[in-house]
Amino acid sequence: MASVELTGLAKRFGAVEVIRGLDLSVADGSFCALLGPSGCGKSTMLRMVAGLESVSEGQIRIGDRDVTHVEPAKRGVAMVFQNYALYPHLTVAQNITFSMSLAGEPKAKQAEAATRVAKMLQLEPLLARRPAELSGGQRQRVAIGRALVRNPQVFLFDEPLSNLDALLRGQMRLELARLHADLGRTMVYVTHDQVEAMTLADKIVVLDKGKISQAGAPLDLYNAPANRFVAGFIGSPAMNFLPARANSDANGLQVTLGAATMTLPARATLAAERPVELGVRPEDVHLQNAGDGTLQGRVAVVEALGNTTFVHVDTEFGQVNVESDPALRLEAGANVGLSFEKNKVHVFDADGTTLPKL
Amino acid sequence: MNNTHATPARRFDLGATLLTLLTIIAAVIWFFPVYWGIVTSLRYDDQTVKDFALIPMEPTLKNYIFDIQNSNLPIWYLNSTIVSVGVTFLVVFMGACTGFAISQLNFPGRKALWWMILASFMVPVSALIVNHFIIIADIKLLNTHLGIILPMLIAPVTVIVYKQFFDGLPKEFREAAVMDGSTEFQLFFRVFLPMNWGVTTALAIITFIGAWNSFLWPFLAAQDEMMMTVTVGITAVQDTFGVAYGRVLAGAVLAGLPVATAYLLFQRRVTQAITLSAGIKG
Ligand SMILES: Nc1ncnc2c1ncn2[C@@H]1O[C@H](COP(=O)(O)OP(=O)(O)O)[C@@H](O)[C@H]1O
Ligand SMILES: [Mg+2]
Repeated sequence: MASVELTGLAKRFGAVEVIRGLDLSVADGSFCALLGPSGCGKSTMLRMVAGLESVSEGQIRIGDRDVTHVEPAKRGVAMVFQNYALYPHLTVAQNITFSMSLAGEPKAKQAEAATRVAKMLQLEPLLARRPAELSGGQRQRVAIGRALVRNPQVFLFDEPLSNLDALLRGQMRLELARLHADLGRTMVYVTHDQVEAMTLADKIVVLDKGKISQAGAPLDLYNAPANRFVAGFIGSPAMNFLPARANSDANGLQVTLGAATMTLPARATLAAERPVELGVRPEDVHLQNAGDGTLQGRVAVVEALGNTTFVHVDTEFGQVNVESDPALRLEAGANVGLSFEKNKVHVFDADGTTLPKL
Repeated sequence: MNNTHATPARRFDLGATLLTLLTIIAAVIWFFPVYWGIVTSLRYDDQTVKDFALIPMEPTLKNYIFDIQNSNLPIWYLNSTIVSVGVTFLVVFMGACTGFAISQLNFPGRKALWWMILASFMVPVSALIVNHFIIIADIKLLNTHLGIILPMLIAPVTVIVYKQFFDGLPKEFREAAVMDGSTEFQLFFRVFLPMNWGVTTALAIITFIGAWNSFLWPFLAAQDEMMMTVTVGITAVQDTFGVAYGRVLAGAVLAGLPVATAYLLFQRRVTQAITLSAGIKG
């Protein structure tokens, strides 16, 4: 059983610092998602844990072992690559047992392992095929099988589902969740898709330009983002942002939004009025009759999805996305008012950090 | 099918037709001597000098039988085979190893080695042939198989083709194998080489054809008739066949046979190999 501990981890490619002083602890048996936009250093970080990339600074521990300078194959980790990296000249069975064959394990043992893994991943009828004869989802499963057969302490996934179409992605997501539940092994999962991170992980680490922006349970990140970056990255459709001014008084936080003002629950006391940014999720904005509410606007687009409806409203501060009652019939061009769920409004300081609630 | 485009008048493309015609004419001009050689090798010489015939009226294998029985052709064949197979195996194997090392391994002097190989590619081997002769003579390897083989192992193109190929493979193949505990040797023999079997066979075939057909160096290195290759033997031994057109041409046909067969059998691979190395030369 193994946890993963990163301390003061840094990675430089020449003068470019891709990962900066990163501390992270992944509990044994947990499913940790590294989430961030493309180029933020997710793969680099995962590859350092795998041992495929040298460490410029800091330490990596897996279980109770310091593996910072240990060879990849001896770290007790297995990795599933985004492009699967299946060997085209080998059959599915040979691909799965490639590590055993390298180690010179007897043929019978290999065959038995291939069958066992294939059973777990519904690959049994495909064992004799070559990768070129498989669909994307099947290749993905073979790649997972190749990791499974090594019985690693830690599984590493680098965007394993991003080459699949949406439907298959949904299915594979469930299979991965089931696999994690069955095996109970530590998994570190890199993705830029916040839906994957939210649904699979028990801990999400949001990376921004090589630094941890916030780490925590999915719903904690959703409900209490530590900064504007996390707030904007997590949640789909994305949070609305509105420029405002704020000042503290005895009743709480006084926010001025254009001509309107509202009082929000108290935050860290501000010494003087200053510019802030408000963040509010579509489900926390409500449509009102024109003239009512905090903000006035005109309906630009109505997206009726059946179970819910998103109404995009043009306001003087840009477009605001509102999740509304699907029974409501609205036409583009209609004038509406908007009100906010005051407890759910996030306030970000000029540097992007959240003003913490008191 | 779209009817408007299927009318013969519209389909007739003057340029393409002319090009096809020209190609056919060129092919006929190129092939005629070969054909005529084959025809002559199948006729009696007195017929050949008497009249001109496109089709042998009384074909005979007499010339072939004479050649095989009265010259060292079987030994030359053996020599050619030893030299060509040896050269092919060594060139391809060393090319693959070197290409792998330059593409995948990190060692001091890697860049320098690569530049040296690229530079040696610019020097035509025939320009060095005198040096080769002196060196091989000095180390007393003239008239030996090894002496013929050694200078023919200079094949930078093979290294370059392999290096480019290995460079082009996604790095995940290497990384996945490394994570599975692969050593560099296993990586080479179990992943990189088998993954590129097509390249290897293609290179082996053109190397074999080149080695079999090579003339200048074997001609210099093998003065002893028993060490000659086929190409050298049939041309260098003046009175092997006398002034007998049929026998000379039968010898030529026999010399060219293995290469022609190899080419016919592996036509696609050969063109692939030529494109591979042409891409590098271009
Ligand atoms: N081998 C390398 N040499 C130089 N820069 C690299 C190398 N690998 C990655 N980078 C850079 O590091 C940054 C992070 O890359 P990566 O970890 O792949 O991002 P992500 O997986 O989050 O998209 C990128 O800007 C990328 O250009
Ligand atoms: Mg990546």
